Amino acid sequence: MGNSAIIPADQITRDLLPQKFGTRGVIWTTILILTCMLGAFAYYRQLRYGLVVTNMRDYVSWGIYISNFVFFVAISLVGSLITAILRLANVHWSTPLTRIAEIIAVSAIVFAALIIIVDMGRPERFLNLALHGRIQSPIMWDVIVISTYFFISLLLLYFPLLPDLKIMIENKEKTSKWLYKLYRFQGSFWKGTKEQFRLSDKAINILCILIIPVAFSIHTVTSWLFATTYRPGWDSTNFGAYFISGAFLVGSGAVVVAMYVFRSAYKLEKYITELHFDRMGKVVVMLSLLYLYFNINEYLIPAFKMKKSEELHLEELFTGEYSKMFWFAIMVGMIIPIFVLIFKAGRKPLPMFIIGSMVVVGAWFKRYLIVTPTLLHPFLPMTNVPESFKHYFPSWEEWAIAAGSMAGVLLVITFFARIYPIIPIQETITEQTEHHENN
Amino acid sequence: MKIIKQNILSLLFVFTFLLLPVIKIMAQEDTAAGTPVVKLHYYNNNNSIQYVILESSLKKNKVFTPQKNKSYALFLDQSTPENLIGNILTDNEGKAKVFVPPSLKAAWDAAGTHNFIVKEGEEEIISDYAITKSMLTIDTASEDGVRTITVTAMKWEKNKWIPASDVEMKIGIERQASILSAGTTETYTTDSAGKATVELKRDSLPGDVNGNYTLAARVEDNDLFGNILVEKNVPWGVPTTIDTNFFNIRALWTTRFKTPYWLLFMAYSIVIGIWGTLIYLIVQMVKIAKMGKTP
Amino acid sequence: MSCNCGENKCSNPDNPEVNGNSRRDFLMTGLTGLAATVALAGCGTGPNPFIPEEKVALTGGKVKLLSVNGEIIEIDKAFLKPVPDMPHLSNAEERHGIAGKKFVMVIDLARCKNLRKCQSACNHMHQVHPGQNWIKVLGMEDADHAAPYWQPTTCMHCDEPPCVKVCPVDATFKRQDGIVLIDSDRCVGCRFCMAACPYSTRVFNWEEPVLTEEVAEQKYSCESSMPQKKGTVGKCDFCPDMTRKGELPHCVSACPNGVFMFGDLNQDTVSNGAETFRFSELIKDKAGYRLMEDLGTKPSVYYLPPVNRNFPYENGLENSKTDDNSYHTK
Repeated sequence: MGNSAIIPADQITRDLLPQKFGTRGVIWTTILILTCMLGAFAYYRQLRYGLVVTNMRDYVSWGIYISNFVFFVAISLVGSLITAILRLANVHWSTPLTRIAEIIAVSAIVFAALIIIVDMGRPERFLNLALHGRIQSPIMWDVIVISTYFFISLLLLYFPLLPDLKIMIENKEKTSKWLYKLYRFQGSFWKGTKEQFRLSDKAINILCILIIPVAFSIHTVTSWLFATTYRPGWDSTNFGAYFISGAFLVGSGAVVVAMYVFRSAYKLEKYITELHFDRMGKVVVMLSLLYLYFNINEYLIPAFKMKKSEELHLEELFTGEYSKMFWFAIMVGMIIPIFVLIFKAGRKPLPMFIIGSMVVVGAWFKRYLIVTPTLLHPFLPMTNVPESFKHYFPSWEEWAIAAGSMAGVLLVITFFARIYPIIPIQETITEQTEHHENN
Repeated sequence: MKIIKQNILSLLFVFTFLLLPVIKIMAQEDTAAGTPVVKLHYYNNNNSIQYVILESSLKKNKVFTPQKNKSYALFLDQSTPENLIGNILTDNEGKAKVFVPPSLKAAWDAAGTHNFIVKEGEEEIISDYAITKSMLTIDTASEDGVRTITVTAMKWEKNKWIPASDVEMKIGIERQASILSAGTTETYTTDSAGKATVELKRDSLPGDVNGNYTLAARVEDNDLFGNILVEKNVPWGVPTTIDTNFFNIRALWTTRFKTPYWLLFMAYSIVIGIWGTLIYLIVQMVKIAKMGKTP
Repeated sequence: MSCNCGENKCSNPDNPEVNGNSRRDFLMTGLTGLAATVALAGCGTGPNPFIPEEKVALTGGKVKLLSVNGEIIEIDKAFLKPVPDMPHLSNAEERHGIAGKKFVMVIDLARCKNLRKCQSACNHMHQVHPGQNWIKVLGMEDADHAAPYWQPTTCMHCDEPPCVKVCPVDATFKRQDGIVLIDSDRCVGCRFCMAACPYSTRVFNWEEPVLTEEVAEQKYSCESSMPQKKGTVGKCDFCPDMTRKGELPHCVSACPNGVFMFGDLNQDTVSNGAETFRFSELIKDKAGYRLMEDLGTKPSVYYLPPVNRNFPYENGLENSKTDDNSYHTK
């Protein structure tokens, strides 16, 4: 635990046990629930009238649902980065962040799956994927890896939670009756014996190794949904790496934002310290540079050749209709974060929070730019269709569903933090003791 | 008496004026509804089966719409009940098909040329559709490597078959929904001997497995004879076995029952490897749980 | 070669050997089999000459009729209809396709003047949603100084169909006769196929399709693509219901200029109804090509370049103004 003084174990427990919502928490949750309900209403309309309530049409057949899906899959990748990669690299400072990263991963992947169902014209036929599934289709690959990733992330959330469940069961007086029942149901068997720890640690290690290829798969396969087509802007061998680097970046941005919010909401300054922000800042810089590198690959090389099919697409992005959004996403999502975060002052909590938010927002627009402009630049000219088919701007239903899904992700995270300690208690205590003993 | 007459006259006068616009409106409605068009087509296939197809449609603004479920009566030569060929009802495409019934054998054999009469209700709407009995034959010859097809058209006149000249027809090889001309022009016309001769210009055209294909001569909507078709099988084609191999391969575009082996291998090994490990981890979890429950 | 080898079946109605052979030949080769059924006509069962008996749903009931030469013959009642009913096809049969066929289309760009009769016939027959089209007629200009021309596009029915590759549920599939179809009872509406198709040929039923009552009550068939279903993908289907009856697709018969030619590659023949060509000669003589050959999709649709045009490009401009802008009913 950083360079701060040793905190007694009982105080750690007291600080980190889940807290009831304050007024701000209630308002926040209410807003999220209302947004979700709006999204649900919009979805009801979509079910009733069909996808005609969206502004997608025959040319732009995928819209913000799909860009939102890519965004969620991207964010969820951070679970593997913070938990697994840093853990395997023997980095210890990231321990307090693991659970934040993991719950972001789980809730984002759940809503990624949901948004795909929302995008389907016949959601009631979802089971056809099991009944008539065709392994040649990248969609099937996606379905398989996403469900696998969800399952691994869930386990990776659960195993480290066991010791904390024991602590919470022991602090019965600080919790409500039904939560106590829930804790007992989930973890009453955990006695904290050496053998249990041995098995659990081994399981966590296996999961950490397993999650890395699966995480790479989910986003690589997601990129292949585009790269397996011929379309300009998608037809790229760079796409898998490009998507993964972007995913790590947006996920880290989301973790930074979550760190800041939890830190101030739950007064966790002693546990999520400036050192964590500083280190995460360095991680974000590195990832921004990496993503920038892949972006240059992705745009400079086709632009150098300017093949006819790519020409209009690239021009629209660089100087045309989409140029404002394009340069906004590049500047806000990569360039500005790099320039702010290379300075130590830029890696303080508040600037980090702002930069983290910028990274996330920039990343959302980046996904929009990956999906939509390409569809508006098909090989054959867009004719013999109503004028509305030649443009795309999401309808209110699409915005509402997109907003609802984001609110949903945040709601899951919020409720999780209400029920479980968002910073692992047991691990923090262990690290403190180890740190103390080492000194 | 006079007064009454005058009154009646004036009443009639008034009525006429009152009715005129009504009649006008009715007339307008009539044209707005379109003009009914009924056509007959006589078919003679292989000098055996014959039938008539009636086609009924409404013409409005140059567009023809089929008239469904319209009933008509078709007669042979005279519109008397004993000469009734059949009562017909049009289908969804406005068409109906009628065969000449055996009861009309005497009438049919009596003459070479027959009139088909269509009545809609009591009104005779077609009375001048005349068809002359015809016969088409295909003869083939092969000399010095040159294959020729001779089609002879005959008509039944004055109780005997005589050559039918100036009959335009397609002569060629039967194909999907078409006849591929055997020679270089699309159609051929019979000479004064009723013959049209075509030299086969289609070398090495695919036939069936044995190299057979069907020659056909077809007369379309001829004023005298209607539609005539005659066919003949010849072994002039190249024996062709249909290669459906492409359909049986394993490829990325085939159905899920024909997934390429390499893909199946990759997919299954990855899925089994990862889910096998996950199952192992669940077993570990159960072990941990059991440890906690036994004191 | 002697003409004896080719049997005119009508002249040999009492030769069962010949009948049997020709019937087998028909079954094996997929020739129209007219000879076989005509032969049977003489023996008392009967045909519609355009549809071989084997392909028709027979009723079992018989009707007597008078032949041209005054003989009395018997045929199945199925032939009383102008177009006899086809037997009901199972989904598996519809997915397999018509045996022995490999359908191909040739579009002659020199003959097109953007009349769009193909489009309206197609839209009418398939009840395509207002504003959407399965056939499009594109005004193309390949390069700055190249001459513009009108290019009708249908589904290319590729032999390496990118759309079929990506379908997760076998809802779109390629048949043995080369046709790529959609099973709207299976389609989940993910629209991956639309993204994958480089020819932008696919359309989506964004809302409840506008159908006539008659069609709406019809049982769904992949071959007729009707009735279309909300939330599923649609596209040009090469009218397999028509080709099964031995007729041409609607666009082919609707075009007054003979732009579209359709046929069976195994028979090396294409026809626009009025004219019939040997496919290989036509492609050779007029330098036929396929769209986007470099993508490796191997389309079944060939184009003939717009040389020696029948109409100036400008003649078609008038019709471009009539693009239907009324999509929404929401």
